[in-house]
Amino acid sequence: MKVFRELLDHESRYLTRRHFLRQGSLGLGAAALGSLAGCQSLTDPMLQNERSPAKAKTIIFLHMAGAPSQLELFDYKPLLQKLDGQPCPDSLLAGKRFAFIRGVPDMLGPQFSFDQYGASGSWVSELLPNFKEVVDDVLFTKALYTEEFNHGPAQLFMHTGSPRLGRPSFGSWVTYGLGSENENLPGFIVLVSGQSAPSGGKSLWGSGFLPSVYQGVEFRSKGDPVLYMSNPDGVTRDIRKDAIEAINNINARAHEEVNDPEILTRMAQYEMAFKMQMTVPEATNLSEEPAYIHEMYGTAPGEISFANNCLLARRLAERGVRFIQLYHRGWDSHGSNDFESLHGGFLKRVKEVDQPMTALIRDLKQRGMLEDTLVVWGGEFGRTPMQENRQGITNRFKGRDHHGNAFTMWMTGGGLKTGITYGETDEIGYDGISGRIHIHDLQATLLHQLGIDHEKLTYHFQGRDFRLTDVHGHIVQDILA
Amino acid sequence: MKNGWVKVGLLVAVAVLGICFWPKSKVDFNADIRPILNAKCMSCHGGVRQQAGLSFLRRESALEALESGAHAIVPGSPGKSELINRIEETDPDLRMPPEGDALTQQEVSLLKKWINQGAEWEEHWSFSPPDTAIDPPTMDAPFVQNPVDAFVLERMEAEGFTPSPRADSTTLLRRLSLDLIGLPPREGWKEHLSDWTFEELVDTILASPHFGERWAAMWLDLARYADSQGYQKDPIRRTMWLYRDWVIRAFNENMPFDQFTLEQLGGDLLPEPTNDQLVATAFHRNTMTNDEGGTDDEEFRVAAVLDRVNTSFEVWQGVTFSCVQCHSHPYDPIDHREYYEAYALFNQTADRDHPRDEPRLPLYSPAEYQKHRRLGKDIDAAREAGDTVGAQYQSLVQAFLEIEPQRLPVMQRLPADTSRPTPIFIRGNWLAHGDLVEPGVPAALGKDEVKDRLDFAKWLVNPENPLTARVMVNRFWEQIFGIGLVESLEDFGTQGYPPSHPALLDWLAVQFSSDWDVKRLLKTIVMSSTYQQSSFIKDEVLKKDPYNRFLSRGPRIRLSAEQIRDQALAIAGLLKTDVYGPSVMPYQPEGVWNTIRHVARWETAENGFQHRRGLYTFWRRVSPYPSMIAFDSPSREFCVSRRIRTNTPIQALVTLNDPVFVEAADTLASHMSRIEGNLETQIAYGYERALGRLPEPEDVKTLSDLYQQTLIKSGSLERVQPHDHAMETVASVILNLDELITKS
Repeated sequence: MKVFRELLDHESRYLTRRHFLRQGSLGLGAAALGSLAGCQSLTDPMLQNERSPAKAKTIIFLHMAGAPSQLELFDYKPLLQKLDGQPCPDSLLAGKRFAFIRGVPDMLGPQFSFDQYGASGSWVSELLPNFKEVVDDVLFTKALYTEEFNHGPAQLFMHTGSPRLGRPSFGSWVTYGLGSENENLPGFIVLVSGQSAPSGGKSLWGSGFLPSVYQGVEFRSKGDPVLYMSNPDGVTRDIRKDAIEAINNINARAHEEVNDPEILTRMAQYEMAFKMQMTVPEATNLSEEPAYIHEMYGTAPGEISFANNCLLARRLAERGVRFIQLYHRGWDSHGSNDFESLHGGFLKRVKEVDQPMTALIRDLKQRGMLEDTLVVWGGEFGRTPMQENRQGITNRFKGRDHHGNAFTMWMTGGGLKTGITYGETDEIGYDGISGRIHIHDLQATLLHQLGIDHEKLTYHFQGRDFRLTDVHGHIVQDILA
Repeated sequence: MKNGWVKVGLLVAVAVLGICFWPKSKVDFNADIRPILNAKCMSCHGGVRQQAGLSFLRRESALEALESGAHAIVPGSPGKSELINRIEETDPDLRMPPEGDALTQQEVSLLKKWINQGAEWEEHWSFSPPDTAIDPPTMDAPFVQNPVDAFVLERMEAEGFTPSPRADSTTLLRRLSLDLIGLPPREGWKEHLSDWTFEELVDTILASPHFGERWAAMWLDLARYADSQGYQKDPIRRTMWLYRDWVIRAFNENMPFDQFTLEQLGGDLLPEPTNDQLVATAFHRNTMTNDEGGTDDEEFRVAAVLDRVNTSFEVWQGVTFSCVQCHSHPYDPIDHREYYEAYALFNQTADRDHPRDEPRLPLYSPAEYQKHRRLGKDIDAAREAGDTVGAQYQSLVQAFLEIEPQRLPVMQRLPADTSRPTPIFIRGNWLAHGDLVEPGVPAALGKDEVKDRLDFAKWLVNPENPLTARVMVNRFWEQIFGIGLVESLEDFGTQGYPPSHPALLDWLAVQFSSDWDVKRLLKTIVMSSTYQQSSFIKDEVLKKDPYNRFLSRGPRIRLSAEQIRDQALAIAGLLKTDVYGPSVMPYQPEGVWNTIRHVARWETAENGFQHRRGLYTFWRRVSPYPSMIAFDSPSREFCVSRRIRTNTPIQALVTLNDPVFVEAADTLASHMSRIEGNLETQIAYGYERALGRLPEPEDVKTLSDLYQQTLIKSGSLERVQPHDHAMETVASVILNLDELITKS
């Protein structure tokens, strides 16, 4: 790869961004290399940005796609139990839009019992026997809110700051801003489990208008972790190395001839592909882990499961991957059928996540990684305190409609306060009454913990400086340690 | 109090000074004022929200008295205009905009000057028809070979650029061929480089039957073509390829674009439509059907109709019409009601989210058709003769019934007495009905009597329509140059990009709408010097114009997903060049279909059918063909105007390891090995076969060194013939070169 290095050195004399990266001693990762393409048009966040000291260097975002019910897991509402079965008061319905509720629905009490746990006395439902043991290590935020109440737009809003297609995703912004700490793995990796892909689709990890090197790379649980990872028969690693050197040699000459920076990006991608062929199988080899770890997470190598993905997330975080995005789908408990009901599919999902997410927290903590790893758990919105009545008729199974006014997420690590609950909802969990956090506030706060000023991480596109947080977002100082 | 007086005094002073020093030039509403209003004001005072009773969408509404009684804008009097008072206000509770930074001094003075000049609104550029009298500027330069060049050169000079020299002829041949048919040059073309004129070359390529395939690939993204129904189960549609064939044929036969439009949008409403015209209407049966148990068919019928409205407006009008589904357009002068007037046009078809996609058109092959007719006649004859009990009659009937036609979902108008009333959906909620509306089209785009889909199609291709021709020539331009004259192909509205060359766009549009001749349009583009420039990028140009907006060099862009695949197969000599036919399943990695519903199996095609062009690849929406997605194909759930090109390590892994590319490399290697001569000769042959030109000596050396290294390293490998293996490695490198997967 000598020619390639020389070329980069040559480029770097002209490119302040490269220069900065060297000064900043960030890894020469894919992100850094990728930025060479079209760099003239980049508004350089690193230079604009007086970075504050980072509390976290990695994010593991556990997105429960489909939106779990906060009222069955964390936001305990005894009054709602008393109102169970009574018609919803008009005041809650006037001028409101719901995805499916029509007419006047009935209130629906919590379907499971709650208790307080840990020194913090945090409320947790009976469905989370493992998680209740670690409540003192997490921060509950109970009054998140979003304007979006359909899955696709709300998921996009959570991960791109906009409900419509085309904006860069959170992970893309972060790798664009910070680069990767491991040049042999993508800086932004996506792991999907549960029932098929999330509603927002591939755009949830797309790079939007940012250069494409910043898009998330999906790792599969079966077969090649990344498609086409294995070489054809007879192509040894050594032969492949020679081949890629030859490709990049000729490409370097072509670059001299036509001067298209896209060629440099392509060379970087071939180098990266070659490295990934080594590092990806190694990083994703869960069977390397000792038995006690498998027991702790409830993992079984080779399966497509949230547990496997949690363990894999820890392994990737250990290797310096910047942004690890998990999706676990199947939480959409409307009550329209058994799969989508609180006593059916929902219970199964809770059982699938309780042990592994708890294990992830414990595991990161015991390895000393929790200090600089942010773990975030939650859906794209919450669920209504009313039972859903699709078409005005109460659904056959117990379920709740989409609800953006107030929902719970939990977080830990990366310099956040733990063992506290921030924000509160009203007596039935309909609206936040204190400590409300908008999605853009959440994004601003998480970026802050990574040492990034959300107002300064910008990219100039279509005549405007775009941000993850659009023109909004306030750092929630009260939850910072 | 004192402060207040000081402030008023200052204001007066500023106003007086301002008036004195305002230059005489007229403020350009579209260039200077609209961007300020859009960015700073319209989210609260626009089409969606009219806080304080104020909307800046149209002049009338902006000049009306506010709820407070004041006037936001008093033409000629910035001082009396509440707008100016509020943007200059220092009290943060009163200042506008309430959040974010205050307007800059420059923005404020522009607004004042504009109000002082009478606060005139200008129509957004794309909403008035292009000027039919537009002429190319007179530019006396050798660069100007056709009118395109005159427009381009004028802009280039204004920006301080100079044109690049013409690319060499082999480069141009490859560029032309990839652009016009999506394949490397066909056999025989290169030999004619010396004795054909460039125009003869262009005409020959335009006449290739592969032309239709290449341009169908563009159209299928817009038509959201797929071989499955979409949503969770995503069942298979076995016959949609008949529509794809129609598209390929239409491009091959150079069907005028107005006819192309009429048949797809309203073919069933034409007088005595032919089967082909009915097949064309499957364009709008590419909407998704939800077969999931418990879903409300009406809900998903409505979703399909909404998609037809949104798609029609995106494809032909380049406006973000879906915004208007829930409320009036926040930035463009299109009302909520107008959305449902357009919806009413599409609300009168018989499809209703039926699991088998009814209604469907039975289609027989010509032979089947003949046989079917003959049997029918025989049966009739037997009946007339009263001979309907014998075994012979039974076998006739049996044979008649056994001829099972292909059944293609098509558009079919509801009988007049069962037509559906169309209410406005309040806030886009299909269950919350507002006023009933009659069919129509948005006034801002040119009001006309439009009663059904066919009228609508005619309205689109009426030369008075301001958008259709502009939007379409821009699409073709983007396919060739990699970036549109209007970069946002999908949005010609006020939030989209302004055109880089407005006069050129309009000139092309006027030309195009005079005869709707697609091949002529493409010929005009590729015959220009602009197109034929070398794609070398000068350092200073790279800094000033990285995306080639000013066209001072030829296009250099990565090929599309389909083209990358087709090219590799063509170079290897594996490509199955048959045009038309059903979708096929080429190699796909194991397990890709495991995570989706099992409604069908992936059965890899054989006998060369696995080597068909990419556009024939079976397209299942929940699991599109992975190597296509890696190279930026959309998933075809909705209309997509632009594929955003990416550059990722996964793409490298596809062209290095995907069995299609491995097979192509191995086959190329066997062709190279069969060439008489030394290794260098064989390498040069392979390189030229792939890239259409001989390699540089140092590249030959790189490749022959690789050959020798591989030879040594594969000596110890089992099941490997070292010489073959070494050549295959070399061939794989050739198929992975940047120059190969790029059009330059």
